[in-house]
Amino acid sequence: MAKINPDFAKEIFKYGNGDFHACYNCGNCTAVCSLTDEHNSFPRKMVRASVLGLDEKITSSLDPWLCYYCGDCATTCPREANPGELMMSLRRWLTAKYDWTGLSGLLQKSLLFSLFAFIITAIGVIYYSAFQNFNVEIIMHHGHLFEMLSIASVFSFILLPNLFRMWYFVILKPGIKVKFMTYIKEFQELLIHMFTQKRTLGCDDNQLRWFMHLILVFGYLALLFTTVVLDWFGTENLFIILLGYIESVVIFVITFIFVASRIQKNKEVNKFSQPSDWFFVIWLFLLGLTAFIVRIFIDLDLIESNLWMYLFHLIVLVQWALIIVPFGKWTHFLYRSFAMYFAKIKQVV
Amino acid sequence: MKNKIGVYVCMCGSNISDYVDVEKVKAEAEKIDGVHVVKTTMFACAGSTQQEIEDDIKEQKLDAIVVASCSPKLHLDTFRNVAQRAGLNKYNYVQVNIREQGSWAHSDNPPLATEKAINLVKGGIERVKHSKELTPIKIPSVNAVAVVGAGISGMRAALELAEVGTTVHLIEREYFVGGRTSQWNVLFTTNETGQEVITRLYHQINSHPKITLYTGTEIIGKKGSVGEFNLTLKIKPRYIKPDCKLDKEKFEKAIEACPVEVDDDFNFNITKRKAIYKNYDSEFPEIPAIDHEACNKCGECVKICDDIDLNQEPQETNITVGAIQLSTGFNPYEPAKGEFGYGEIDNVITLQQFKRLIELNGGKLKYKNKEIKNIAYIYCVGSRQIDGPNKYCSRYCCTSAIHTSILVKEKYPEINNFHFNRGIRTYGKQEKLYHEASEAGDIFLQSFEEAPPQVEKSGNETIVKINDILTEKEELEVSADLVVLVTGMVPREYTGIVNILKVPIGRDKFFNEIHPKLRPVETVIDGVLISGACQAPLNITESVKSALAAASKVSTLVSSGEIELEPTMAIVHNDRCTWCDKCTEACPYDAISKIKYENKEVAEVSKSLCKGCGMCLPVCPENAIDLIGYTDIEMESMIEALIH
Repeated sequence: MAKINPDFAKEIFKYGNGDFHACYNCGNCTAVCSLTDEHNSFPRKMVRASVLGLDEKITSSLDPWLCYYCGDCATTCPREANPGELMMSLRRWLTAKYDWTGLSGLLQKSLLFSLFAFIITAIGVIYYSAFQNFNVEIIMHHGHLFEMLSIASVFSFILLPNLFRMWYFVILKPGIKVKFMTYIKEFQELLIHMFTQKRTLGCDDNQLRWFMHLILVFGYLALLFTTVVLDWFGTENLFIILLGYIESVVIFVITFIFVASRIQKNKEVNKFSQPSDWFFVIWLFLLGLTAFIVRIFIDLDLIESNLWMYLFHLIVLVQWALIIVPFGKWTHFLYRSFAMYFAKIKQVV
Repeated sequence: MKNKIGVYVCMCGSNISDYVDVEKVKAEAEKIDGVHVVKTTMFACAGSTQQEIEDDIKEQKLDAIVVASCSPKLHLDTFRNVAQRAGLNKYNYVQVNIREQGSWAHSDNPPLATEKAINLVKGGIERVKHSKELTPIKIPSVNAVAVVGAGISGMRAALELAEVGTTVHLIEREYFVGGRTSQWNVLFTTNETGQEVITRLYHQINSHPKITLYTGTEIIGKKGSVGEFNLTLKIKPRYIKPDCKLDKEKFEKAIEACPVEVDDDFNFNITKRKAIYKNYDSEFPEIPAIDHEACNKCGECVKICDDIDLNQEPQETNITVGAIQLSTGFNPYEPAKGEFGYGEIDNVITLQQFKRLIELNGGKLKYKNKEIKNIAYIYCVGSRQIDGPNKYCSRYCCTSAIHTSILVKEKYPEINNFHFNRGIRTYGKQEKLYHEASEAGDIFLQSFEEAPPQVEKSGNETIVKINDILTEKEELEVSADLVVLVTGMVPREYTGIVNILKVPIGRDKFFNEIHPKLRPVETVIDGVLISGACQAPLNITESVKSALAAASKVSTLVSSGEIELEPTMAIVHNDRCTWCDKCTEACPYDAISKIKYENKEVAEVSKSLCKGCGMCLPVCPENAIDLIGYTDIEMESMIEALIH
């Protein structure tokens, strides 16, 4: 027996555009969705669960992650209830739900708190640099160390526990019995979706979007590898230097296009942007651009006299690594691919 | 006896001639005495054929015609008009149906179809031989109408009729006008209050010289028929002197002093009122009334207000009208005890009670001193019943409930509305309200007829459960502070008027029209018209539309001063009649009365009341009654021809 909770909707409204109350259950959204199938009939089910405030149903569901937001449901909805945007809001809400620290929810719901966090980290970086007497070498060395340390700690203390919580909510708590071998057998599913996002291709009109997204993912992962492992800022190797340039250009060009389309609102997927969406694309853009300029400064021997440029890059990097990656939109990289993995497992069971 | 008869056998394209040998029919018809001309024709109803028949009648001086073609429902009037154009009385025409009763019915056996067609045509010819020239009856009419019920339909119709010059007697059973509309506060789609609308109408009515308003009045007797009804009205005493000066303060004190308290039916019994009362401040007529059933005549009020006169007696008065328009309205359905907890669980009320509750409630929304946050509306209570008698949809309730929920939410934003429905029917422009309510966050849950929601008491809580078909039939529940049963419409309990006027009642117990599409406001009783929610569940807009339709129908009936009626009716052969009274019992229209004729008592049929149904004929032991147009000799000779 489920108790209806109308207050739940108010909570969801804090995570995105909320017109879903207008739904009169015609089912058009599910009918036009090219990703839905008999096992996962969304978005109508999720719309209904949101209207009724059946939060447990949503928490245990993978449906929000299985939607890649082509926007067909929103354009065909006779009540303009915007199911696609609800799925987006639910992804944000789930991100907060999975996060054991509760910070994700706070950051997403309160722009003020987000700004506060961004400012504090910026001040921290500047304070730290002053503490180091603005010594370029030390700061850049520590910056490199920070990259490695933050990846390791964010992953083990935030992302891994949160993935575990996701698994608990969708598999363990609903009482789905899965053999250990199934996890092993279906593991390829996780890798395929993590590195190809091939489900996006199931959407009707998304070839280009998928391609750009794919390039961005690879550009990002490659730049991460190039800076952290190959020490791009420290290397003398021409090949690595060029590689880093290409990767950073890919990142800021594509993110520039993404930011521009969010401003133009030219597609359903771009119509509604929450602060978390803006932070994600803009910071990724800044990350690529500042890394690019920093390396140019290094190559032109300007960095010694222009430490501010590196500091700017470092601030963006720290904010990215401590706010956006663990608690912001970055997590969709993991949750989406794990959702496909868990969905496959559930289907097998 | 007609002896120059024209017979036309129609092929109806091939509809008839494919199965019926029309030439053979023609040959047989030619053999009959009195038949002057027989023709077969491709389409009897075609313009050229009509012209040919017309020419035959004129040139060959035919004295009667028979067309053997389709059902008279289709073309009786067509050929009656042909006869009339040619100067022949239209009742000297008989239509024989050899298509529906011949070729179509017996397409499997053409020879027998032909034989049957021949017999039918023979019968028709024999019948037309004895046909008489008849003229429609014209009776005078009084240009006056009684509009019964001063709710919104009756008031609106009264004004419309008065505008075209008809004298209107507007008769209201209650002491005040406005009916149900005045009980609703804000009305849907216009957002005026019911009381505002009624006030506007009242002032127009009050100042119109052609309208006489009777309140506290019922029709207790009727004589006469269409064109001239004589109605007896009984006017209940109001116990207030008619010439009283309206001293508001005095009356307020008198109301305060009255020791009698009764359930206030204006508020659907959620409050009490005194025996001397006004339902609301701006109610009309302005003078309060004393409920003569509740008043114990203690005299407390008289001590305070000398305008009160407890010695008033009921009065009777007579009026003469040409037609009667009934706008007697509806009652809200009263749920049975225990129906969704009604009468058993203390926070279960009807939509109508809820609407009054909101209007009366200032400040926080409370019921029985408990603050309300969650409201569960249960739809279709008393409508669309599977087992019960009310099979119909009451039309207004979905919209009314949703509109009410919007109003409640506007006034109390913290409220949660839960609509337990069986499919929302906010048809037409009202759909916008449904959209508005869902956008405002109202939650709609739906179930099928066979699995309605359950209302249960659990400790201090009232739980409403449903297997929601919009959520894969999942069992969902709401803890409701108030359960509102969205009750539909049922007809009023009629006190006498149905028997007095013999208004036909449908299976749904609402008044019945002649034809829902073609004659939607007329009843089979000539001169008695129906409008508004006494006919069927209707919302205010629809009620007023039907009221205006009926008013225009009344106007065409009474305004010319003359009413034309079909001559098909019963006549009594006075020489044979012995007044055994059997025919009066058989007559469904009270058309037969006793008169003196040459030292004996005989029956007489009222021309305006008789419908020509023929019920009196077979019961007459003396065979003293004939039906004009269907006289014994016509029918007998037709049957004779059919069986030989």
